[in-house]
Amino acid sequence: MRNLFFLLTIIILATLGLNWPIFLNFFYCKPDLLLIFMVALVFYTDFKTALIFGILAGLAKDVFLPWRLPVNTICFGIWSYLIYRLGRQISTEENYVRLAVVLAAGLLNNFIVGLQSVSAGNIIPPGIFLRNLIIVSVYSSLLSPLIFKLTKKIAA
Amino acid sequence: MFKLPRKTLTNLILACFAVLLVFNFLSCFKNPAQKLFKPQLSFISLVKRELSGIIFYHRNMLQAQRLQNNVDLLRWRLFELREIAQENARLKNLLNFKHKSSLRLVPARVIGRAIDSWSSSVVIDKGKYNGVRSGMVVISPKGLVGSIVESMDNTSKVLLINDPNQGISSIVQRSRQEGLVSGTLGSNLIMRYLPDEAQIVVGDVIVTSELSQAYPKGLLVGRVVNIGREFSGLNRYALVKPIVDLSSIEEVLVIIP
Repeated sequence: MRNLFFLLTIIILATLGLNWPIFLNFFYCKPDLLLIFMVALVFYTDFKTALIFGILAGLAKDVFLPWRLPVNTICFGIWSYLIYRLGRQISTEENYVRLAVVLAAGLLNNFIVGLQSVSAGNIIPPGIFLRNLIIVSVYSSLLSPLIFKLTKKIAA
Repeated sequence: MFKLPRKTLTNLILACFAVLLVFNFLSCFKNPAQKLFKPQLSFISLVKRELSGIIFYHRNMLQAQRLQNNVDLLRWRLFELREIAQENARLKNLLNFKHKSSLRLVPARVIGRAIDSWSSSVVIDKGKYNGVRSGMVVISPKGLVGSIVESMDNTSKVLLINDPNQGISSIVQRSRQEGLVSGTLGSNLIMRYLPDEAQIVVGDVIVTSELSQAYPKGLLVGRVVNIGREFSGLNRYALVKPIVDLSSIEEVLVIIP
């Protein structure tokens, strides 16, 4: 039942991401809700569940992107594993630590996606690259407490 | 800190390969996934439209009044142009010109936008069942919007012209100077490969060129807002503001060849 709710949450967050209201965009950027959910899963569930649903969240994101390389699916799996390992090394109980983890995951994920786009020969001006890198990550980390609460309720 | 046991590392690599294999069969996965999303996307876009209609009622009312004035003016102009078109058709017949077929268009509604900030695309509610195929051109009454990159049974993905993956062979309408227009993810497009002696000035209108295999000739792309020199110093570039407001587009037309 819990797994079904996780799946439903992925569908709802993907739908919300696809239909994010324009007036909530910050400098043309929207938060990465599926990335926050992936991080939240690592904090509130066991590793196996977090990895499977993290990969599914990445897959849901890649389905709606115009390129063929499943960069988010691969990255989300890797971030799940690395955050799990990090959680065993340091305490991630504090809220600000969790926000910092979302920020770091956002920065890394956006950097890799952006780099992949640039290496494919696309021209992205440095200002827009930095905007997508920093603002999306900060916006995501600021919204993360809401998704953390939701994930905690489902996982409980 | 992140010292991985060999077994875990092997499992991780195997998992990555499994994911890559899944994506080899992505087309068979994407169709049911997008089918699953279509009802709620359509519903949410409907609710969003209705809500914004209520919230921005006053603004919409003023806008409607202004547009009504424009409609009256344009109706008069249309009447004049219809007269000219009829005269043109008569003269063409006289000169034995070949009749050029008009474009077949399929109207579609935007039901979703790009899920991240690294691409610029929209999802429309028409797919293979409506005759929409990959590679078809998408326009709005104002001008060029983009092209279909993926077509499912009921939905299609449109790559907008401000996506960096887009490349549109275009010309300056006034001087017929050719260049390649591509997106930058920002509000402007960039027209590249302009020689030093290119006749282009701020305010020039950019349209699609007949060299483009993908786009019909003469579709309105945008207007030049700035001209600069490329980093290499060999060519110049022009920043082009798209005619269509791509951030708030709601309805589009797909050209069926």
